[in-house]
Amino acid sequence: MSRRYDSRTTMFSPEGRLYQVEYAMEAIGNAGTCLGILAKDGILLACEKRITNKLLDEIFETEKLYRLSPNMVCSVAGITSDANTLVNELRLIAQRYQLNYQESMPCEQLVASMCDVKQAYTQFGGKRPFGVSLLYAGWDHHFGLQLYQSDPSGNYSGWKATCIGANNAQAISSLDSDYKSDMSLQEAIPLAIKVMYKIMDQNKLTAEKLEIATVTRTDEGTTEMTIIPRETVAELITKREQEIAQETQK
Amino acid sequence: MSISEYNGSAIVAMAGKDCVALATDTRFGISFKTVSTDFDRVYKMGPRIYMGMAGLVTDMYTVSARLRFRLNLYELRENRPVAPRVFFSMITNLLYERRFGSYFSAPVVAALDPVNGKPLIAAYDCIGDLEVVNDFFADGTSTEQLLGICETLWKPNMDSEELYEVISQCLLNAQDSDALAGWGAQVYIIEKDKVTKKTLKARLD
Repeated sequence: MSRRYDSRTTMFSPEGRLYQVEYAMEAIGNAGTCLGILAKDGILLACEKRITNKLLDEIFETEKLYRLSPNMVCSVAGITSDANTLVNELRLIAQRYQLNYQESMPCEQLVASMCDVKQAYTQFGGKRPFGVSLLYAGWDHHFGLQLYQSDPSGNYSGWKATCIGANNAQAISSLDSDYKSDMSLQEAIPLAIKVMYKIMDQNKLTAEKLEIATVTRTDEGTTEMTIIPRETVAELITKREQEIAQETQK
Repeated sequence: MSISEYNGSAIVAMAGKDCVALATDTRFGISFKTVSTDFDRVYKMGPRIYMGMAGLVTDMYTVSARLRFRLNLYELRENRPVAPRVFFSMITNLLYERRFGSYFSAPVVAALDPVNGKPLIAAYDCIGDLEVVNDFFADGTSTEQLLGICETLWKPNMDSEELYEVISQCLLNAQDSDALAGWGAQVYIIEKDKVTKKTLKARLD
C-alpha cells in the first residue's frame, strides 16, 4: 500500500517516511565499505575497492579518496558518478569561500553547505537524491582534526569512528568495542585492518582491494593526505591473519 | 597620473642558464604618499613558478586571488601541479574575460620548465596578451629605465650568481630614477634544485 507514495521524492508516505531517500541509502548499503577513525594525531580512512578487474588501466591514484581543498579530504560510498558530481561541487564551495575570505573553509561549514544542497534534492525539483554517502576528514583552526559523515538525506554528524557502505553496522559495532578515545594513528591502522578483515570475510581481504590513507598536520602547518603503500597494507593484512591463526589455536 | 601609476611598482624578470630571476621593488604608495616600504608583490604559484604583479594594487589582489581559485581547482581535479605554459594560458584567459573593462594590473611570471629545466618568462599587458620571452621583461612605473639598463647589462647564459648581480643592479638603479618605485627590493632566484629569496637595501626615498 505504501508503494503508492514512493515514486516521488517530494512526498511523505502515510507513515511519515521519505521512500526515495531510504532507497538511496539502500543503494549505498551495497557499495564498497569506507571506514573512518579519528586518532589524536591524524585521521585514518580505509576503503574497500570494488573495481579490481585486471584489465583496468590504473591511471588514477585512488578510486574512492578525493582531495577537496588544502585542508580536507573525503571518501565516498555509493554511485560513483553521483559521487564525482558531489566532489566537484564540494571543491567549488571550498574555493569560493577561500576567494571571499582569503582563508581555508572550516570543515563543518563545508559539510553543512554540501548537505544543504543534498537536502534540496529531497524536497523540491522533482529530482532524485544523490546515491552517495561521504566521510569527510579535515583540519581547521577552530576544532582541529575532525571526521564527519553525510548521507543522501542531507543529515550529517561528527564522529570519532564510523563506517559507511556494505556491512557498516557490523563495522560500527566492532569499532564500538575496540575504539579508544586517545588512540594514535599507529594504533588506529591495525584496528582498521582488523575491522575490515572481519566485515569482508566472505571475500578474502587482499591489499589490492584496500585503499588506506591518513590525514595529518605537518610541522609547517599544512594538512597532508598520505596513501599507505600497497606493500605496507599487505604486510599489515598478513600480520592480522597470523594473529587470527594464533587466536584460533588457543 | 594614470590609474596604473597610482600605486607605483617596478618589476623585472631575467633568464639565465637553467635559472630565472624575478625582482620587484617594495614600495606601496597612494599617489605621492608612501604607505608601506616592505610591500610584497610576488606570489608563488607553483614549486618553480613565481608571479610578480605590477600596477594597481587592489587589482593585483583580485587577480591573484581569482587566479589562485582557478589554480587550486585545476590541481585538485587533475591531481598534479600545473605546468608553466598551462598556467600562462590560465592568466591570459582570466585577463581577457575583462577585455572591455580591464584590470589595471599585469603579471610578470618567471618559471622553470619542469621537463627540461629551461627558463620561461611570461609577459602580459593588462588584457592578457601573452608573450613568452627568452631574455628579460620589465613592467611597472619604471619600465623605461628598466628596459634601458637591462638591454645594456643582460647577456645570455649567465649562471645564477651573475644573474643575481645583474638583475639586482638593473632594478636598484632603475628604481632610483622613479619617484613611485623603490624603498627596497626583493629578488627571487629560481633554479632547478632551489629557490633563493634575497632582500636588498635600496635608496630610502
